[in-house]
Amino acid sequence: MFQPQPTPYSPFSSYGLIGSAPGAAAGFNYEQHRSPSVVDNGGPTVFRDPVFRPSSGLPSAFHTLSPPPRFKMEAPNPADDLDRQEAMAREYKPNLEGPLVGEKKSSVAIAEEYAKADPVYVAKTAHLPQTYSHYRQIQGDGNCGWRAAAFSYFEILVQTGDKAKIEEELARMTSFGNLLANVGGFDAWLCEDMSGETLDLLKDLASIPNQTEAMALVLEKLNDRSISDTIVYHLRMLASSWLRADPGLYQGFIQGPEGLDGYCKEMQAVNQEIDHLGMTLLIDVLLKPIGVAVEIVYLDRSEGTQANTHLFEPTDSNGVPTHPCAPRIYLLYRPSHYDILYKEITALPIRHDLQVNRATSFSHQHAVQNTTGISNFSSVDMSAILGIPGFSMQPMHNLPPTYPYSDFAPSPMSPSISPITAAVPSPPAEFPLCQKTLLQLPVSVGTPTSFRPSKYNWEAASEWQDTPTFQTNTFKNSHYNTAHYNNSNFQPEQWSPENEEPSTSRKKTG
Amino acid sequence: MANSQRRITKELAEVTSDPPAGVTVSLANESNVHEWNIMMDGPPGTPYAGGKFKLLLVLPTDYPFKAPTLNFKTKIWHPNVTFDEKGSMCLGMLKGDVWKPSSKIMSILTAAQQLLVEPNPDDAVEASIAQKFKEDKAGFIKEAQEYTKKYAN
Repeated sequence: MFQPQPTPYSPFSSYGLIGSAPGAAAGFNYEQHRSPSVVDNGGPTVFRDPVFRPSSGLPSAFHTLSPPPRFKMEAPNPADDLDRQEAMAREYKPNLEGPLVGEKKSSVAIAEEYAKADPVYVAKTAHLPQTYSHYRQIQGDGNCGWRAAAFSYFEILVQTGDKAKIEEELARMTSFGNLLANVGGFDAWLCEDMSGETLDLLKDLASIPNQTEAMALVLEKLNDRSISDTIVYHLRMLASSWLRADPGLYQGFIQGPEGLDGYCKEMQAVNQEIDHLGMTLLIDVLLKPIGVAVEIVYLDRSEGTQANTHLFEPTDSNGVPTHPCAPRIYLLYRPSHYDILYKEITALPIRHDLQVNRATSFSHQHAVQNTTGISNFSSVDMSAILGIPGFSMQPMHNLPPTYPYSDFAPSPMSPSISPITAAVPSPPAEFPLCQKTLLQLPVSVGTPTSFRPSKYNWEAASEWQDTPTFQTNTFKNSHYNTAHYNNSNFQPEQWSPENEEPSTSRKKTG
Repeated sequence: MANSQRRITKELAEVTSDPPAGVTVSLANESNVHEWNIMMDGPPGTPYAGGKFKLLLVLPTDYPFKAPTLNFKTKIWHPNVTFDEKGSMCLGMLKGDVWKPSSKIMSILTAAQQLLVEPNPDDAVEASIAQKFKEDKAGFIKEAQEYTKKYAN
């Protein structure tokens, strides 16, 4: 009845990429077939909602596991293909519809968007949702980098929930009027015109105690083109003035024959996309002084399966971070476009719809069915488990008290679930309940999402303590202790009299 | 929207109270601040002297984040203005990638006047006029004067 059919790849043709593949000859240049909305089109880039959504509900990371059929064994028709490509290029225009700043969405959508793109992107985007749970689209109208930074700036101020901090920021922004006029060389009327909206919004935020309401206001204002553009222009003026205030620090990064003046002029043209120096300036003037770090994730065609990241954080003159636990803004950079990313551990979606309870693990226990009865467990209500189709109670108590995980049918996911299961105690009396717990463990097929929480915990844990200290009696004299000469990071313990000082002085005074 | 209107009103007040020499400005329609009628005298010492040129300045709703457009309503024979009903003027500072919100309408008007004094044949929209301007200055002046008499009186 249900037979797998060879599926032509045509459903994706509207996506712009694989649609041109059927006509391609072997040796087809994958580069030319990249979706026009992806990169390097020379114009502002907009990433629309993906046209294709997997109907099965599987994240597209799953789809990417099987290599897309790039070539078809049909007679190639290069002329037709070329025409189609040309038509695509001709008809391509940046999508300037939709909001300037979008709603926060699950970052799985990015992977979906790139599922049919160049393999380098596929690998990098498939890894993205593991680290960054959400993202927010910014319209690619040539201001996206500036607008993304502006939105994140207000958002992070709201998230501090600190009225005094916002008022402090209002004062700082007001005082920047002098910098704009005296150093930036802007006319007073222009400074007044352009800084007005930024200051008004800060004032409003300081007076709204409710964070949800405040965020709604930020989203509304940053989506009002006139207000949003004014704020963005204010930032352009700030960055340009900041550059003029300390040309020595940045001058070396200015390319082109026009020099500093030319660069500043270019930065002030509307719809002129932010470049690396512009972003550095903006972070230096806007975000570092309020103790906010910015992590930029570069999604480009460089080698590797993970996107490169670069962290800009507030440091002192020696390059030591002044705010090691600074709140962070995450920006996703794709050639000529910026979006906002979020790392939210709690909000990770666990795909319940993908769980597969591996009941097969019980079938191979049937050989030892007839040993003892189930009377030992009569006090436990097993009706819930008995409801599972194909489930048999009998083999359960035959399992040894300490549950050997290897007895389960080998699962591709088993190493990753072990940190969870290891935490489950299994004394004999509680055994059936324990069994129940194991049964409910989600084992999903081919998607990394289901075990992400544990991965997160691991990552977070490794950040907290990079070098674990082994101070217990058992470990103190082992080579795990850095004071042990066999340790690879051997560091002899040093006796310092100062450490003993307090106790002796206390004795004296006491 | 509100910002845009505020800025335009401010600039209108400025230009009407202290316009560049030989220029008068008025709203095309009292209820719409986005369209300005401009009367510009042909600058003395040019083949356009003695002529009165009517121009239309349209300020987009996104002003000052989008550049205004400036068109000659009076036909003018000039390398940088299309010699048709539209009379589109190619002014460097109004180009999309050059336009800066810090530029003011006053400076647009002065730039337009300056372009009448000094045509820019290398960035021409009327190639034949530009060629004449480069190769036969006297002929260019004569012809421009004739057209000025014909249309701009």
